Amino acid sequence: MTHYQEQLTSLLENSIEENEDIRSLRLNAFDSFKKIGFPTQKDEDWRFTNFSKIQNGYFRLSRPSDLPNNFKSPNLLNDQSYPIVIINGHYQPQLSKIPNGLSIFSGSNDFKSNPHSYAIDSNKPCSSKMKNPFYLLNTSLMNSGLSFEISENIKIEKPIEIFFYTSEIDEPIMNHPRFHFRLRKNSKATIIEHYRGQTKQSYFINTVSNFELEENAHLSHFRFQDESFHSNHTSFSGYTLNKYSNLNCNCLSIGSDLYRHNIKVDFKGPNGFARVNGLSLIDNNRHHDLNVIVNHLDNSCTSSQLFKFILSDSSTGVFNGKVIVDKDTFQTNANQTNRNLLLSPSSNMNSNPQLEIHAEDVKCSHGSTTGQIDPEALFYLRSRGISKQRAIELIVEGFAKEIFTNIKNDNFQSKINHKIGQWLESVSNHDKS
Amino acid sequence: MLIIKDLHASIDDKKILNGINLSIKPGELHAIMGRNGSGKSTLANIIAGREDYEIESGSILFNGKDLLDQSPEDRALDGIFMSFQYPVVIPGVNNTYFLKAALNSKLKHQGLKEINAVDFMSLIREKLKQVDMNEKYLSRAVNDGFSGGEKKRNEILQMLTLEPTLSILDETDSGLDIDALKIVAKGVNNFRSKERSFLAITHYQRLLDYMKPDFIHVLIDGEIVKSGNSELAKELEEKGYSWLEK
Repeated sequence: MTHYQEQLTSLLENSIEENEDIRSLRLNAFDSFKKIGFPTQKDEDWRFTNFSKIQNGYFRLSRPSDLPNNFKSPNLLNDQSYPIVIINGHYQPQLSKIPNGLSIFSGSNDFKSNPHSYAIDSNKPCSSKMKNPFYLLNTSLMNSGLSFEISENIKIEKPIEIFFYTSEIDEPIMNHPRFHFRLRKNSKATIIEHYRGQTKQSYFINTVSNFELEENAHLSHFRFQDESFHSNHTSFSGYTLNKYSNLNCNCLSIGSDLYRHNIKVDFKGPNGFARVNGLSLIDNNRHHDLNVIVNHLDNSCTSSQLFKFILSDSSTGVFNGKVIVDKDTFQTNANQTNRNLLLSPSSNMNSNPQLEIHAEDVKCSHGSTTGQIDPEALFYLRSRGISKQRAIELIVEGFAKEIFTNIKNDNFQSKINHKIGQWLESVSNHDKS
Repeated sequence: MLIIKDLHASIDDKKILNGINLSIKPGELHAIMGRNGSGKSTLANIIAGREDYEIESGSILFNGKDLLDQSPEDRALDGIFMSFQYPVVIPGVNNTYFLKAALNSKLKHQGLKEINAVDFMSLIREKLKQVDMNEKYLSRAVNDGFSGGEKKRNEILQMLTLEPTLSILDETDSGLDIDALKIVAKGVNNFRSKERSFLAITHYQRLLDYMKPDFIHVLIDGEIVKSGNSELAKELEEKGYSWLEK
C-alpha cells in the first residue's frame, strides 16, 4: 500500500501541470482504495484469488525512458486493421493509423469533455466501482490509455486494433491504462484490445476500458490477453448499452501469471443485445479469474454468455457470473453457460454461475460443467485410426474453437485459431517432457 | 481373417463373455443375434479395442496378428472398423476435417501420399451419394445435431471412405426407419467383396432381410449357443430365443 501511495505522490509531482480536477480525482480514488485495500479471501467476489504478488510487488509507473529504441509492431492483423500502438504504456502515433470517423483524445482532454465518465461514485460505497479496488487504483494512477469516439452513422469496416505492448524492460514496471470508447448513434465498429508482452521481467498491467454504445450502435469487441507469463494483469471492461444497441464481445486469455478480469454489461435502454464469450487457456501454475455481471436494467434485452476454460498442469481458474434482472423490467432473455475442460488431474476450477431475478416476465437459463476429455469421444476418434495424441488435440481444439465461430472476419478468426493451436501444441509438449 | 478362441471377458467383475469361438473368412458376412444384455455389443467393442473390459482368457487373431495387444487406432489402421451403436457427438470438430484426418492417417500407415483437399472432396461427394446424405452434414461438427438415422448413415459413410477389411456393424439397424435401413443396407451390400468381411450385430431379423448373411450365430449369456445359415434367422423370428436357453 505504501509503495502505491509513493507512486501516486511521484506521479503528482511529475505532472504538476495536470488539471486540478484530475488531481483531486486521483486523490479521492486513492482514499477510497485505501479504505477497502487489496482484496482478501473474505471478499466474496475475490476470494479464490491471491493478489499478494501485486500487493507486495515493487512495480514503478512506466517512464518515457522505458521505451525501447527500435521497435516493430508485431500486432495481430498487420495491414488488415487500423493499429493504435502503445508501447510500455506510451502511445506511438507514428505507428498508428486512424480511420475517418474515428477521433482520438488523450486522457486529460477527454476528462475535460466527459468528467462524468471518470466519476467513481464515492458517495455510493456499494457501487461496483467503489467495491473494485483495482478500478480505484486505476483511477488514481491512470498513466496511459486513450479515448475514442466513433461519430454518428459511421461504419468502420476494418477492425481498430489497440495494441498494448510490453517489451524490453529492465525493472518491474506497471501501467494503469484507461480507455474510453464512445460509439455514437448508429455507428458500427470492430475494436480489438490486444495486450501482449515479451519480456522475462515481471510487470503489472491494470486496465479500465469503458464502452458506451448509443442508440443502435453496433460494437464487436475482441479482447486478447496475450501477456508474458511473468506478468500480472487485472482489468475491468464496462459496457453501457443504450436502446437497440448491439454488443458482440469475445475474450481470449492465454497469458499472465495472475489474471483477473471483471466484465460488466449494463442495459440502460430497451431492446439491447449483448453476446459475451470468453476462452481462457491456462497452463503451469498460472491463475485466471473471471467475474462477469450482466445487468438487465431495461426491457426486452437479450444477453448471452459463454465462457470456457481449458486448464492444464497445475493451473487454476475461477468463473463467477451473475445475471441481474431489475425489478419492473419485462421480456428479459438471458442465458449464461460456463464449460471447463481439465486436461490434468492437478488443475482446478471454481465455477459459480448465478441468477438474480427481481422481475417476473423473464426467460433465463444458466449452467456450468467441468470435466475431463470425454473418453467416448476419444475412443470414437481412435477407432477411426487417429492416434491418441492427435485425437486429444482434435477434441480440445474443437472445444476451444467452438467459442469464436461468431466472429465473421475469416482472416481474424484464422489468426485466433492459430494462437489457440499454438497454445495446445505447447501444452501437449509439457506432457511429453 | 478373424479368429476368436475361447474368449472370456468381464466388466466391473461382471462376467459378460463366456468362451466365444468364432472364425470369419474373407468375403463372409456373419450375423450375431441375441437379446439385450447377451454380450453382442461387448464382443464388438472388444474387437474394436475399447479398453473398459477385462479380458480374462482367450485370444483374437486378425490376419494372424494378436489383436488384443493393439491400440484401437492400430486396429483401425490394420483394417478393422466398427459402426457404433451410439455414434458420439464431438462438439467443434468438423465432420470433413475428421474424415480427412482419419483417411490420411490410414494412407500414411499404408505408405501412401496424403490426399489433398480437392481430391478428398470429390471422393467424399461420391461416397455421400451412396448413403444418400446431404453435403451439409460435412460442414457440421461430428454427429452434432444429427438425427438417429443421419448418425448411422454417417457411420456407413466413414466405412465407405476408410475401406476396412473387417466391418463390425453394431446394431446399425436400431433407430432406423425402413427407408433409412434400406439405404444403409444398400451401402453395405455395394461395399461387399471377396476380400471384405462383416460382422453384423442385431437383435432383429429385419436387417438380415436386406443383407444376406453367410452365417448366423445366436449369443446367449456370452456364449454362442447355435450357429447356422439364414434359415436360422427365420426360425428365430418364429420361435424367439427361449428354445435355445438351457
